[in-house]
Amino acid sequence: MRRSISTTTLAGLAIVTMVASNLGAQISGAEIGGPAPSFTLPDTYGEQHSLSDYSGEWVVLEWLNYECPFVRKHYDSGNMQGLQQRYAEKGVNWFAVVSSAPGKQGYHEPDDMNSLSQAKGSKVAAVLLDPEGTVGKLYGAQTTPQLYVIDPDGVLLYNGAIDDRPSARPESLEGAHNYLAAALDEAMNGRPVTTPTSKPYGCSVKYKD
Amino acid sequence: MIGHGTTTLNRYESLLLLQPLLAVGGVMPSGSWWGRAGACAAALIVGSTAATAAQQADDLSPHSDAELVSEMTSVRPGEAFTVALWLLMEEGWHSYWRNPGDAGMATAIEWDLPEGFEAGELQWPLPLRIAVPPLVSYGYLDEVLLLTEMTPPDDLVAGTTVTLAGRADWLICTEICLPASAELRLELPVDSSQPSRDAVWQGIFAETRAKLPVKVEGWDLTARRTGRGFDLVITAPPGRETTVQDAYFFASEEAVVAPSAQQLLGAAGRSMILSLAQSPYLRGTVETLNGVLLAGEGVTWDEAGLVRAMAVAVPVTGLVQPGSEAGQGGSLTLLVALAFAFVGGLLLNLMPCVFPILSIKVLGFAHHGGEDKSKVRAHGLAFGLGVVVSFLVLAVVIQMLRAGGTRLGWGFQLQSPTFVAALAILFFVIALNLLGVFQVGTWLARVTGRIAQPAGYPDSFSSGVLATLVATPCTAPFMGAALGFALTQRAATTLFVFGTLGIGMATPYVALSLAPSLIERLPRPGAWMETLKQLLAFPLLGTVIWLLWVFGLQTGMGGATSLLIALLLVGLVTWILGRWQAPLITARTRLVTRGIVALVLVLAGALVVRGSRGDAASDSGLSWQPFSAARVLELRAAGRTVFVDFTAAWCITCQVNEQVVLSSRTVADAFQQYDVATLQADWTKFDAEITAALESFGRSGVPLYVLYPGDGHGSPIVLPTILSKQGVLDALLDAAASTGSRRQTDSLRSMTSERSGV
Repeated sequence: MRRSISTTTLAGLAIVTMVASNLGAQISGAEIGGPAPSFTLPDTYGEQHSLSDYSGEWVVLEWLNYECPFVRKHYDSGNMQGLQQRYAEKGVNWFAVVSSAPGKQGYHEPDDMNSLSQAKGSKVAAVLLDPEGTVGKLYGAQTTPQLYVIDPDGVLLYNGAIDDRPSARPESLEGAHNYLAAALDEAMNGRPVTTPTSKPYGCSVKYKD
Repeated sequence: MIGHGTTTLNRYESLLLLQPLLAVGGVMPSGSWWGRAGACAAALIVGSTAATAAQQADDLSPHSDAELVSEMTSVRPGEAFTVALWLLMEEGWHSYWRNPGDAGMATAIEWDLPEGFEAGELQWPLPLRIAVPPLVSYGYLDEVLLLTEMTPPDDLVAGTTVTLAGRADWLICTEICLPASAELRLELPVDSSQPSRDAVWQGIFAETRAKLPVKVEGWDLTARRTGRGFDLVITAPPGRETTVQDAYFFASEEAVVAPSAQQLLGAAGRSMILSLAQSPYLRGTVETLNGVLLAGEGVTWDEAGLVRAMAVAVPVTGLVQPGSEAGQGGSLTLLVALAFAFVGGLLLNLMPCVFPILSIKVLGFAHHGGEDKSKVRAHGLAFGLGVVVSFLVLAVVIQMLRAGGTRLGWGFQLQSPTFVAALAILFFVIALNLLGVFQVGTWLARVTGRIAQPAGYPDSFSSGVLATLVATPCTAPFMGAALGFALTQRAATTLFVFGTLGIGMATPYVALSLAPSLIERLPRPGAWMETLKQLLAFPLLGTVIWLLWVFGLQTGMGGATSLLIALLLVGLVTWILGRWQAPLITARTRLVTRGIVALVLVLAGALVVRGSRGDAASDSGLSWQPFSAARVLELRAAGRTVFVDFTAAWCITCQVNEQVVLSSRTVADAFQQYDVATLQADWTKFDAEITAALESFGRSGVPLYVLYPGDGHGSPIVLPTILSKQGVLDALLDAAASTGSRRQTDSLRSMTSERSGV
């Protein structure tokens, strides 16, 4: 009996070690169906925004880097601004988050960022500045663009690509299935989100080294 | 043949510069290599002058160039041949693999082929891991050939020309990313005779083929779903001892495996298990795990020493349902999760972390056997309650940590080497106590005493808490589904699942205490209990071995040795405490012995802290490849300076030299600066090849240090047996002096030198 126990023990030890020693850190801290991580960030006008300020309302987070060709595809075509406007009219708080570190692509001083947003015709509620990348890493943001939908209870309902066309070519917009719009339309009408996550595409977020 | 290659390139405007170089290439002895290296150099020169042009928006392929090339100089009707997209990238820029990793986009070709032609799928050579923390991408630097098999129709007419055309799209990135594209066009004559290889390209086609992942006979691969993602179980062919100590899996498809998550290779009997974390964007079930398994630097999967990249395509068995599915309200309902949790809790009692506790607990019941049955029942319930409550507390703690934004998995404690060391020491001390090395003092009585012989109900309760605490490291593998489910749910569900886990674990104890008939069958207390107690020390010591092994994996051999010495010191302390017991000795003896105890404990603590930091040698950044005479020749042929360290684990001089000189920052930097390939010939076990090499230098033993100059033929420099930093630096200077003439080829070599994939 002692022998069988030690065999079991050793087998168990091996398996346990495999798994236990391998629970390596992942960067994503946000899970679908779970509470969206809370944060506080300043916008380009110096005003602080906390996720909890928007409790009871719909929130969209859009990771932004104006110089990224994939982001440009959606802004130069007016696709992104169109979505921003459509959902702003339905009461959605749409924030762009810039996690580019100073000196890296996509980072701009607040005033420059405001002129850029104005020139692009952005319709976001605010552009939030995350130069340390804290909130980006908290949400596991990997690319620009990458989009998150948070419901009025603070639950994360969507995390991923804006649509199903991972390309920087403007013509790829034609006939694309927009995951973000689909998720918002379903969720805001009380239906479950068919596609709650998709692999985001675009440029890597230019985090601080 | 060369002529044709030149014509091909001529069409490509930006590569006009190649012509003279290729002409030279034609008369060089190693024609194709020189031709190609020249081509790289020229293209990069063109590339860098084009860098400024790339800023202009109308450059379709910034910082890179692409061309369609053919392996054969002509097309034979109906006979398949290989073409390739040749991508050249400016230094520091990369393009992407079929799975670009965390960010990026795979290179794609849209073919525009003559009637009847069929293009196969793109064949991708082994990619590099390109890490920009916290993100990891898979791609290529410098240059790459993406191969495609072309099948022409049977009815081609000899003497005509066919034009293969298409459009390539790729993303070219450093810090920033730019989309790039090129119109591809390749004209080939149709000839009914046997096509011949293009001398300019055949070298790089062969090199590229060598980097294509292939199936390796005999290796047994299986994949199973785990709570974290996947376990890839790798078993070497029968009778073959594997030297693979490091491996990395590149998943072919996106959104299956998280590229930035750590992949750790562990051993399980004859097999190795590579644990992979699933992508946060994974949807649906994964039927097969497809990709490339890369062996560590200098190691191959096959005995011929050719294959570092093994193709993987294995069905995934689902022992455990994927957590993400459950999180999306998928197949795992709450009820199923609770059932899993209950069974898992029951199973926990058989786990090594818990089994010793169970045994001790049974002792406790045996002790209570003679007492009032209702009292036994109450003790059992109190113990059960302790287990359940502590599981609930753990659930709350995990929820709180999660809310804090820290992503944690169950069993995370074992990731901390210090925690593992502390656990090893605790179990070791308990084992020594069970063996009777020292009697239960007041402090230890709180640990073992409360489990074995609870005095009151609060003690039974706290022994339940203690059992749970000790059990936590073992829950990971069995609880995957239930925990994965719970952690993606709201707090209330998590509490339910954890509570059920606790109920499962407590059930056997409570059942034993509730069914008096079972307890009465337990033998009466007596001398056998002491025997059993001593016997129980051995499973505990087994657990210590396991913890040591974990600690060793985390910190290396040096760390494990530190912990072993710490255990020795702890053993000494317990012996002192047992030999000179508190009530029986004078105040003076007490002061002396307790002083020594304190001192030794401090020393043991320092050792654990030092050991937890890992091996110093692994910090120096030098990567040692295993020695073989063939490898030396190969590296020298490539113009590398080679340093060989003939060593053995039992050779103290070798160890001192390695720790003090070879691992020092100065020497490591110098090796890097001179681009020295470092090989290690480990003579710990007898090795005929190493023995022969030693003899060739007139030596019969280690240490021996040999530096081969990088000119490929200069005589090797033998360093003194006792190394000094200055001595090594001087030898490097000497070696460099004898190869001064080679400097002009440095830029060429750096372009073609093999890059590490891991």
